Amino acid sequence: MLEIDHLEKNFHGSAALKGVSFRVERGQIYGLLGHNGAGKSTTLGIILGMVAPTQGEVRIDGVSVQQDRARALRKVGAIFEAPSFYEYLSGWQNLKILMSYSGRFDEALAKEVVERVDLTKRIHSKVQTYSHGMRQRLALAQALLPEPEILLLDEPTDGLDPEGIKWFRDFILELRRERGMTVLFNSHLLAEVEQMCDRIAILQGGELVFEGPIKGLEEELQRYHIESDNAEKVSALITPHGGIMEVDELLLPNSIDPAHVLRDIVQSGVMVRSFTPKHRSLEDLYMEIKQQNPSTPRA
Amino acid sequence: MNFLAQLRGELRKLFARPRTYIGYVAFLAMEILILVVYKLDRTQALARKQLQTNGLEFDTYYSSLSITFTIMTLSMFVLGSVFFALVAGDIVAKENEDGNLRLIFARPISRLRLLLVKYAAVCLYTVSFVFFVGISGYLMAVAAVGWDGGLFVMEPKMKVFAAYPEWSEGASRLALGALGIGFSMITISSIAFMFSCFKMKPAAATIITLSILFVDMILQNFPFFRPYEEWFITWRMSAWLFLMETYLPWAKVMESFAFLLGLNATVFVIGWLNFQSRDFKT
Repeated sequence: MLEIDHLEKNFHGSAALKGVSFRVERGQIYGLLGHNGAGKSTTLGIILGMVAPTQGEVRIDGVSVQQDRARALRKVGAIFEAPSFYEYLSGWQNLKILMSYSGRFDEALAKEVVERVDLTKRIHSKVQTYSHGMRQRLALAQALLPEPEILLLDEPTDGLDPEGIKWFRDFILELRRERGMTVLFNSHLLAEVEQMCDRIAILQGGELVFEGPIKGLEEELQRYHIESDNAEKVSALITPHGGIMEVDELLLPNSIDPAHVLRDIVQSGVMVRSFTPKHRSLEDLYMEIKQQNPSTPRA
Repeated sequence: MNFLAQLRGELRKLFARPRTYIGYVAFLAMEILILVVYKLDRTQALARKQLQTNGLEFDTYYSSLSITFTIMTLSMFVLGSVFFALVAGDIVAKENEDGNLRLIFARPISRLRLLLVKYAAVCLYTVSFVFFVGISGYLMAVAAVGWDGGLFVMEPKMKVFAAYPEWSEGASRLALGALGIGFSMITISSIAFMFSCFKMKPAAATIITLSILFVDMILQNFPFFRPYEEWFITWRMSAWLFLMETYLPWAKVMESFAFLLGLNATVFVIGWLNFQSRDFKT
């Protein structure tokens, strides 16, 4: 559905993107992660044709954005962090104006979308009276009006309260369930991405440093947190199984049954106070990548 | 995609903004002031003297049409240019500054098409504003001195002198003149529009446009620039006055309007090329 092909971008001689490539398949929710200045917004800008790449190309459903932007963006809806509407106009007038750039304004469809984003009561009020959450829902409405097949979300939950974030997340997941919507989700909120996305790409200093499914974040080794009275003995016991002891963490090959290992440790007379499986979270992965490049700014 | 629907949206944005109306209010206030001064005895005596010196009857030419012509001639270039530069300087740069362009760029519309819509809106605003000044000025003048009477035209700088004793002839000539002013004023809007397409603040686009025009006007009035006055933008913009002459010098009018048309097209293309080559970060 969305192909990012060897994107490079230089701003005044400094490289903002260095050969970034990834693909977003139809119906996928794809997270684009990275610290501030990693190149997420530049990538999004190139996808929308707002930024010209120094090299490379973006294709949406096979159509090149760089060669035929108008045709490529026909199936796209986008939301930005802190969307800027015409404050002195009503939400409805904003929708009408923005839709005039996409095609015909279908009033019945607009009413349906407005109702869905729960803005019916306030849609004829001026946008300057809207809260941040309402603006974000209006942004969602304008993005959905052209009936897109792909949604590009640039930090959409920034500044929303926890209730607003949950509403937004549920809404996007529902869209995917109902319409098979493809979503590219640009964020630095790791927990948010982990809950929503099927696959992620991590950008760092303009380079793609990780690309893969969220479910594949687990390593080849199983991790367990262990509290015992004799860490040295535990280490000696697991080494023949191919395991490694790292302070209070036990790393075991996936082929080993942890129950057997635990039984051996207990039978050897070691007092085990806790033995808890530890999943590698997106945050763990992100921090590992950061540790490999300590110069990376904080997310 | 419907160009007219996009234009309607652009005009809605333009006319929903309070600052668009600053010009309207300023002109209404100025028209009221001009009319008050026109009603003063000393002003009437001066007008009477000027008309009678030229062999014309005061009762025929001290009229709503003549007052309207004076309002438009005196006020449009100096005061009108400020508002045209303000509105046209805002139309692209302000949307970029406010972040509205991001939402538009997420739509399948080309940058050229977007600029054409905005430029059309600016041109319509300019021409409609000129007609607003003309019509409101005339209505106020009618309230002050009555509707009838002819039209007296005298503009020494462009060497234009004409008198139309019949109301209908004077009114139609004034309407033609308003069209000419509208076309001339589009040049100010076009220059401001070009700067608005550049990477600069809206206020900077307005100030640079006005600076160019005022420098052009000042240089044009330097005695040693006189032989070259036809090369100045503001002189060409004053060519609408030829439309008021008794025998219409179409060749002179068309020469200047073609100059302005070429200039407008050139600055639009420069603005577009700059806008097209710019990166807009999300």
